[in-house]
This record gives sequence, C-alpha cells and structure tokens, in this order.
Amino acid sequence: MSSPGVPCLTCADAATLGSVISVAEREATVETAAGLQRVAIELVAPVRPGELLLCHAGVALSRVSAP
Amino acid sequence: MKYLTEFRSGEYARSLAHELAGLVEPGEQVKIMEVCGGHTHAIYRHGLEDLVPTEVEFVHGPGCPVCVIPMGRVDDAIALAERPEVVFATFGDMMRVPGARGSLLEAKARGADVRMVYSPLDALELARRHPDREVVFFAIGFETTAPATAVTLLRARAEQIDNFSVFCNHVTIAPPLRAILETPGLRLDAFLAPGHVSTVTGTRVYDFIASDYARPVVVTGFEPLDILQAVGMVLRQLREGRCMVENQYTRAVRDDGNPQALAALAETMRLRESFEWRGLGPIPFSGLRLAPAFAAWDAEHRFELPGARVADPQACQCAEVLVGAIKPPECRVFGTACTPERPLGTCMVSSEGACAAYYSYGRLGRGRAAQPV
Repeated sequence: MSSPGVPCLTCADAATLGSVISVAEREATVETAAGLQRVAIELVAPVRPGELLLCHAGVALSRVSAP
Repeated sequence: MKYLTEFRSGEYARSLAHELAGLVEPGEQVKIMEVCGGHTHAIYRHGLEDLVPTEVEFVHGPGCPVCVIPMGRVDDAIALAERPEVVFATFGDMMRVPGARGSLLEAKARGADVRMVYSPLDALELARRHPDREVVFFAIGFETTAPATAVTLLRARAEQIDNFSVFCNHVTIAPPLRAILETPGLRLDAFLAPGHVSTVTGTRVYDFIASDYARPVVVTGFEPLDILQAVGMVLRQLREGRCMVENQYTRAVRDDGNPQALAALAETMRLRESFEWRGLGPIPFSGLRLAPAFAAWDAEHRFELPGARVADPQACQCAEVLVGAIKPPECRVFGTACTPERPLGTCMVSSEGACAAYYSYGRLGRGRAAQPV
C-alpha cells in the first residue's frame, strides 16, 4: 500500500524503467531505481541484456529507446 | 539511470518554464486536463504548477484506476473475499477503498483471507502453492495493467491451473474521455494523454479528440521535463490554431502501440456493453470482461456475486473532481471527513488520486503569485 507522497507501485497505471540484466525463458531480471525485479517478457520478446524496458505489475510493456 | 536523471534537470526545467511563459498571452486562461493519475502525482511531486505560467491551469482527469472503481464492485470483491474457500489477491491501494460494506482491509480484519500482491502473476503463484484453495485476483486498471492480467490468464490456461480466477474490472481510456468531452458546460482546452497506457494502445486511440472535438492532445511521459515539454507542445498547438495528436513520449510510445500486448488483450478479454465508473456513471463499451474462452478463469462465472449498484456517499464530491469540475479542496469533506488515513472517496485513497496528491503536497491555499523562475 502506498504512503502519502510515495507513488503507488502496485495499482497505479504507472510503469517503472528497468535495465535488463539477464534473460531466462519468459522472464528477465531488470535493474530499476528500486532494485532488482523479475518481469515477464512475453509482450516485448525477444529481449537482450542491456536493453531498457518499461515494466508494470510484473510485466514488461515496452522497450525504451532513443526516438 | 538513462532516461531518468536527464529528465529531472532543474536547469532545463527553469529554461522550459521561461519558454512556456512566452507561449501564452497575459490574462488568457488555458485549461489542460492531465488524464492520468500518474501525471497528477508527478505535477504535485515536482511542483510543476509553480513552473507553468499562471494562465495555465491543470485539470485532473479520471485516470486513477483505483479512483474510478464504483462502490458496488468493491462490495462484490468483499463478498468474494469472505467466501471460506477463497484467497483474495489484490493490489495494495484497493484494500482501503470503501464500499457500502466497508473495505477489503476491514474484511481482512474480520478474518477474510485477503492478500496484497504486486502482480497478477503473484496471485497465480499463490494458486500454484495452494491447490486446495480458490485464488481470486481483483483485476483493476487501464490498458497499462490489463496486459499483465492477460499474460497471467494465458499462463493459467497453458498450465491448466484451475483454482485461479480473475474478477475483472479493467477499463479502457478512450470512452471516459469522450464522456467528459460530452459533459455540458465543461471547458477544457487540451489534454495530456497518459504515456504508459499509450505504450499499449498507441497514439491513434486519441484521434477522435482532435478530429471530433477540436482539442489538442499530447501523449507524454512522467518525468518533470516530459510534462513541461508537453505543456509547451499544447500551447504551441493552441497558439497556431492546430488540433492534433502529438507524441512527446517517443522513447517509449509508438503510434501503433504494443501489438503483442494488444493481441494478448484481444485473446483474453472482450468489451462489456456498459461499465459503471465512479463519478461518471455507466459508460458504454468502457470496461473489459474475460473472453468466453476464459470463462473457466472468470470469477464472475465461477461465483455468485451480489452485483448491487451502490450510490456514492452524498457528501463525497469525487464525481465532480473526476471530471475536473471542482478542485479537490473545493470538496465539502476534503481534509475533514475525508483524509488519506480515513478516505471517504476514492480520490483520497490512491496516491495518484487528485485529492490525495493535493493533501500530501500541501496545495491548500497556496498562492500562485510568486513564480520561482
């Protein structure tokens, strides 16, 4: 549950930026500002280490790259 | 981290603020609705109201997924959670949202097995670990969150996990915007469209706002420089008499969205004929239910629900806040009967709710006269 002043990371329709550290089958470990997270990558596969992903609710939603 | 720190530069923010000041005429009023609760939160957290010209007013839209869930659906969730065989999994903020029968947190205190999860995949893991229990996931959110539910359903079907189901309350972003634009007497000049929803939907979903309602739309990210730059893009459109959908958040949003996510949604979910929104009432084709092929994982098929429609508390003015008709402090119970500790309305529950953002960041009676730039 979020506290006042802290963005809700669970329900909010916001996403978190994560750098891919490793990939294993349908999941990747990403490094975010809040630490390491495991995320499902079905919706952005294939994924390689070093890529930046927007992740939300345990799932990677989009690849982030220079426009 | 790349794409984070450079979008939080105070120096660039001040430079952008100077630029914005030159894009408005003294005394004019420009009302821009930031649709997404994440934008509302970012605007207050970074003090952006004080960086835009005084002629620009942010109007807070309906894009907080917690805030738009009606009380009747919360009561349905509580009824599910109180079934003895059920483990009820929910995102954290939904635990405090009041229904007519209290909140999920209060149901948990009475003995219901309610668990907070960060992902629907966590709920599926609960089902794997507890094959003797029925795990129900309370699915809420816009097109940003719905793909996670879709991925979870596809995994549940692939693994034939039959003690898992979804109570689906996902909603879509375009119908409430049309409903707001049809509100009599509402004056809005432009929209900041939600960046993360748009990673899934793409930008074309907003075309009707420019073509049918002649309002500029700018899809934007959530860092302070993203939002300031988007305000500049809006002001330039207005100044030049243009109405189009522009994409400020090009590093993450493509015009056609995420085709894989859209395909997962199309496979697992269907539009409901109508869905009730808190503050906005029933809106046609605005909510999602599970597709018939996923009926085995649909909590509304597997369990009997009360399904009662519950009117919002009379004192609560969430409805007017959600369409931008009033500012949060103008609500008659703001900060008195309704606080983040004891929310009466949903806009005070989630940190992305407009009322909670106002309350948390001290926007009460702050004068706009002094510009820090």
